[in-house]
Amino acid sequence: MAGLFLPAFRGRRGAVIAVLAFALAPSLHAEPLIVAFDRFHAAQPTAEGGRLLYNELGCANCHGGDTGIPTRRGPVLTDVTARVQPDWLKKFLANPAAARAGTTMPHVLPANDPQAVEAVAHYLGSLRKAPISKKQIRVVNFERGRELFHTIGCVACHEPDAEFQPPEGKPAATDFTHRSVAHAKLDEKYALTSLADFLRDPLKVRPDARMPRFTLAEEDVADLAAYLLNFKESYGVNAPGLKAFKVDPALAARGRALVTAARCAACHDLPKDVAAKTMPLKGGSGGCLENSSVPGLPRYELSAPQQDALKLFLAQRNQPATPAQVATLTLEALNCMACHDRNGRGGPDLVRKAYFQGDHNLGDTGRYPPPLTDVGRKLRPAWLPKVLTGEARVRPYLKTQMPLYGAATTNLPALLAKVDVKERKPLPPGDVEAGRKLLGAAGGLSCITCHRWGARPSLGIQGFDLSNLYQRIQPTWLQEYLINPAGYRAGTLMPSFWPEGKAANMEILGGDTARQIAAIYEFAKSGKGEPEGYPATASGQFELVPKEHPIVQRTFMEGVGTHTILVGFPEGVHLAYDGEHARPVLAWRGKFFDAYSTWFSRFAPFEKPLGESVVKWPAASPGDPPVRFEGYRLDAKRVPTFLFTVEGVRVEERFEPAENGLRRSLKWDAAKLKDLSIAHPDGVTVAEDSGSAPGKRSFTYVWK
Amino acid sequence: MRPVTGLKPGANERFGMRAISFRKFFFTALGCTFFFAFSAIAADSAYEILNLLTANSPSASRSADWKPGEGIALEVSGMDFTADGKLAVAVRKGEVWLIDGMLGGSPDKVTYKLFASGLHEPLGVLRDGDSLLVSQRTEVTRLRDTDGDGVADEYLTTARGWNVSGAYHGYTYGPKRDGQGNLWVALNLDMGDHANNKTGWRGWGGIVTKSGDFQPMAAGMRSPCGLGANLAGDMFCVDQQGTWIMATPIYHLRRGVFFLNQEGIGSQDLPGSPLKLPAKLPNKVPYPEAVRAVPPMRPPAVWLPYTKMGRSGTDLAVCNAGGKFGPFDGQMFVAEFTDAKVSRVFMEKVDGEYQGAAFPFLAGFASGLVRLQFAPDGSLMVGMTSRGWTSLGTKSYGLQRVKWNGTTPFAIHEMRARPDGFELTFTQPVDAKAAGNPESYSMSSYTYLYSSAYGSDEIETKPVKIVSATMAKDGRSVRLKAEGLRELFVHELHADGVRSASGAKLDHALACYTLNRIPKK
Repeated sequence: MAGLFLPAFRGRRGAVIAVLAFALAPSLHAEPLIVAFDRFHAAQPTAEGGRLLYNELGCANCHGGDTGIPTRRGPVLTDVTARVQPDWLKKFLANPAAARAGTTMPHVLPANDPQAVEAVAHYLGSLRKAPISKKQIRVVNFERGRELFHTIGCVACHEPDAEFQPPEGKPAATDFTHRSVAHAKLDEKYALTSLADFLRDPLKVRPDARMPRFTLAEEDVADLAAYLLNFKESYGVNAPGLKAFKVDPALAARGRALVTAARCAACHDLPKDVAAKTMPLKGGSGGCLENSSVPGLPRYELSAPQQDALKLFLAQRNQPATPAQVATLTLEALNCMACHDRNGRGGPDLVRKAYFQGDHNLGDTGRYPPPLTDVGRKLRPAWLPKVLTGEARVRPYLKTQMPLYGAATTNLPALLAKVDVKERKPLPPGDVEAGRKLLGAAGGLSCITCHRWGARPSLGIQGFDLSNLYQRIQPTWLQEYLINPAGYRAGTLMPSFWPEGKAANMEILGGDTARQIAAIYEFAKSGKGEPEGYPATASGQFELVPKEHPIVQRTFMEGVGTHTILVGFPEGVHLAYDGEHARPVLAWRGKFFDAYSTWFSRFAPFEKPLGESVVKWPAASPGDPPVRFEGYRLDAKRVPTFLFTVEGVRVEERFEPAENGLRRSLKWDAAKLKDLSIAHPDGVTVAEDSGSAPGKRSFTYVWK
Repeated sequence: MRPVTGLKPGANERFGMRAISFRKFFFTALGCTFFFAFSAIAADSAYEILNLLTANSPSASRSADWKPGEGIALEVSGMDFTADGKLAVAVRKGEVWLIDGMLGGSPDKVTYKLFASGLHEPLGVLRDGDSLLVSQRTEVTRLRDTDGDGVADEYLTTARGWNVSGAYHGYTYGPKRDGQGNLWVALNLDMGDHANNKTGWRGWGGIVTKSGDFQPMAAGMRSPCGLGANLAGDMFCVDQQGTWIMATPIYHLRRGVFFLNQEGIGSQDLPGSPLKLPAKLPNKVPYPEAVRAVPPMRPPAVWLPYTKMGRSGTDLAVCNAGGKFGPFDGQMFVAEFTDAKVSRVFMEKVDGEYQGAAFPFLAGFASGLVRLQFAPDGSLMVGMTSRGWTSLGTKSYGLQRVKWNGTTPFAIHEMRARPDGFELTFTQPVDAKAAGNPESYSMSSYTYLYSSAYGSDEIETKPVKIVSATMAKDGRSVRLKAEGLRELFVHELHADGVRSASGAKLDHALACYTLNRIPKK
């Protein structure tokens, strides 16, 4: 497939946007796109793939038969003219695949018959009950919408925008292994408010949940809609609204006849008077399968692999699918596989991985959704429905959202439980107090170092909450997992505390693996308090207070940089010196510095002065000669003298406390270097000392 | 008696003394008990782990609120011995301590003296004449005491020239000297906030020029935490499993080579780069294919397979103890963080390139190992800190010492590649019947998937048939003839059936040989 790559370009209101996805051009892919078929079945068509298509192309809606896969429907059309622009609706009806590449909507109206299109549009318009929304969206932010689109999971299915730069760099277009779901020209299709309405709950219009529902705040909805419509202004009220559509009853009546003839109601929810009866299949070939333009037959433009797979399926369509097949095909149909791996299959592909972001401290587990391997026996039967309904979310660090699929996933938990079942291995009775110790950081396994416990944040990296372990996880799976976490999820940061089944901690419960795991499980079940060993909060204990001598300390400091050298004087005046460019940057009074993070935080944040009256030197002028920092010397009183060279000439620079200020002196060989460009901070009075001259300049700064 | 760090009065002020007796820091007699309990579970009875100073704070070391607890925060990040036999210890909070008297065995005589402070997360210290060189995040600094009061008063910038973005993982490792006197430094990739690996030699190793600049030499590293030269003077470096890095590798550093991680190769476009890689680099291919496709790409001399030889290698030390550390002079000891272990590595040269075998050595340390340093008396100093990551062991930091008790361990001493198999030598005479029986051995070989993912499973695993095992006359070595050797694959040997002449099992029957090249003769 990769050989077919052609860079495609798409115009959007004058801005030409290169599209990464490799095959938008309809001439290359006229067929309807079922992502999972493209990804898992197209290379080698099978009856399985055919079953997926039979469901996902709506074949079952006309011809009957239960594939086991959640029903695929067309969108609800009742209020379509309150949702999309009338002109776009007509364009889509006239040639669906031209209006949106890869659509599963077949061509159903007579070819080249604009009057038929007009009539159907009027019929659909006549169904409208809802008024056009008068709700206005005040403020929108295109850039934020773009950021959301590329981080919350939209691009797991839809193609990313080539102008968007993910943190690790853009993937190469040639790395795309399967196609993305294309959008229509959304600015032709929607108004800002109607797209926002759709995004707020796509299941209202698409109850089959092939576009699932994300949990979005109102501003997310507005910004996403603005991005998708390429609307770059700030005031949503300036965005074009939906065009009014006046229904002509005569045309609507003609449209009603066309809709009945085209059997639209097989896939779309429409009034009873246009209902389409099931048409049992006679053979396993011919008809819609052949892409022929027979009037009255929907035309799909199936690809050869799609035709082959459908024929294979139809030849054996009376054989029911096994639960395992149904489970797999359900996860494919809903494109769960876009984000989740199951048994080594699926999950974000190389290209789309770049858009999965999260907490980098958690490694791959901090950015990619979890595998679905064995999920039916990993999660308790009562927990998986909570995940699917959005009641439970345990990985707040993933930027990618788990969306909601409504009724389409109602049967999924029971199905997965049935398919994934394995022999149960019960845990021995658990010792609650041993569990408290094991989970804790005082001689235990320090689980709380990386995992939250209820409302208590973990001590270090913020792995997911373990307090609901009992409610979430089945004991058999837990035992297998804990002995070899990497076997379940390669690349997990979770180490094994029972490598090869042998306990690393021999001191608790005699190192008995099963009893230790049971103790942890039992403690989680008991709800009795929290694991032990949370340290008392430290604050202020690491304030550096210069007493008899100055203190020199390197750190990262905001506005100073990564080469900051701090000097704190007992007199209560302090300095931040840039040890890269050999120049003072900040001076302040009062408290000096809290060294806690510099000394003991893994994450080395950029610090701020602890005191007040911070004054800042102006940035170096671009014309200044290059300076090279060479270090510092401490004198007997531990006052540093900074050393650097300017054009090869050694300069010594020294700061000492003065009355409510600092005295700065610079020494160099004036025979070799005439003078230095010396800047002074704002917020102080600057006095050049008497005797200051090239080669030996000194200044006194006093806070105003 | 004066405060050197200027801490606020309170619990910590008593450490602001320039020389502190060991007694004050050897917290309780329980510490001793704890240590002996530990050495009793050490796998190898010929070696004991002795406690010098371990934290009394719990190892909740990822805590945002972590504190060092009472005493010196001896989160060891660098070690070397001074000319007068003191151990210079760099600690992560930015200090260098000189520890004296600890090899004598009398805790009362041990003194700790603060030599330098205010440094930025120094991760290495090296004696250099009358100075100590320490690596800070931003530079290598020469510390010197010019007035003889035992405290450094010169902090001179000795090497610089790499990008320091402020990302927490932008560590500087080294410096270490090779046999030609070159001073080597290695730079961690940036990770997290502020990360910028596009420029400034992140993921590279290099040497320090006379003018004090960084001269890049080798690329493709991720977390090249430990450097060290072997007895021939060649420089090696241990990296850690992570993105692009499938397991812990040991690289032979030299000019113009690329190892594994592609995230920092943008620097090859900077002036001074000794490397130009092809525009298209492999991803998601079996490792041997990747090596063959990219000529400057050099395989690690030795892989330490994940979990079998620990997880995250952090340092290496080549034994030159003159027999005082058992029979392993010339071999390399590799520190490991997560499992708090030490592995042992034997290397040989085949066609001019290093390769060799890794063996388990010793486990049961108090915290995540970060630094190893052989002492003048042949014992091995082990510096630990687990702050920020998880490790086995119950302490958050400390200094321990491994001592050989004089009994010869029963181990595979060397494992050499042969055109048709391997040759093993043992540290003790072996039972000829057991060692000469091919059924005493089992072997498989595997490689890894080279990709941007974090680590790799072992892939393409196949059994390697040991068709014969022929004892040499010396009664200590055996030739294994094997079918199905594969170049660039790790060959994992289990010599479970081997017995010593006195009937003992091997202390460790596992050996993992990285067969980059099959010798022609």
